[in-house]
Amino acid sequence: MKHSVNRPPTPDAADDQGKEPTLQEIINIKLIESGEKERLMELLRERLMECGWKDEMKALCRAYIKKKGRNNVTVDDLVHLITPKGRASIPDSVKAELLQRIRSFLVSAAL
Amino acid sequence: MSGPNEDNTQLSSHFFGDLLDSIIADVASECHRIAKLGIDRNLEEEEEELRLSAQARARVADPSNSGETNNKYVVDIFGQTHPSVASEIFECMNCGRSIVAGRFAPHLEKCMGKGRKARLKVTRSSTAAQNRYSRSSPVSTYSPYSNSTSTNRLSNGTSGVAGEEYSNGTYEEP
Repeated sequence: MKHSVNRPPTPDAADDQGKEPTLQEIINIKLIESGEKERLMELLRERLMECGWKDEMKALCRAYIKKKGRNNVTVDDLVHLITPKGRASIPDSVKAELLQRIRSFLVSAAL
Repeated sequence: MSGPNEDNTQLSSHFFGDLLDSIIADVASECHRIAKLGIDRNLEEEEEELRLSAQARARVADPSNSGETNNKYVVDIFGQTHPSVASEIFECMNCGRSIVAGRFAPHLEKCMGKGRKARLKVTRSSTAAQNRYSRSSPVSTYSPYSNSTSTNRLSNGTSGVAGEEYSNGTYEEP
């Protein structure tokens, strides 16, 4: 039979029974299903835009692109460029606000 | 043994990192797209703009240019000529004065507060407003405006108001 799409074989039902979802996975699902993950993303996006973090990252990208030439740059390059600096330059207040909200969600969702 | 609080902190950090990674990926993808499509402040465009503006500045500063391309006699695509300084007069919406259009931008800079003098103008008027409401009048029996705050605004700040009519408690005793 010709496979037009590369995909791994469907796992058997028997295989799954050994694996229990980790706490992280459970919470992730709850975050997504309740819509809270989306809200948190929007909040973080807004805060990062307000404080100029997004503009800083875009400036870094632009400088890099200018140096390398815009046809030699991949999305991956940019992600690797921004990630360390991006993580380091988050303002403390923004980080604290988001962590607080996540923690409240964890507490309220814990059974 | 780690208590629930530590777990919570670690989990929160994990999810925060997750969110952050998604946003970083979004920003990178956006920048990549803008770069590849060549829109939004292309670098060559910027350099071109800089070059043109430097050229224009040189042309304006050079007095010997008026021979060939005197601004007054340059004709636009409709066959009209325009004077080099716009000469219409209209009213500034901030201070109400009549301003020549060609001088409007520098006027606005001073009027709306880019400069030191304009900012002084603003603070002077706001502290005058504060003084009006908070200082009690040296002439304590004179108070034709003591009842309503709206009529006080009509006075130009030369008369204080008798303090006892104000209930907001911000005035000082003489």
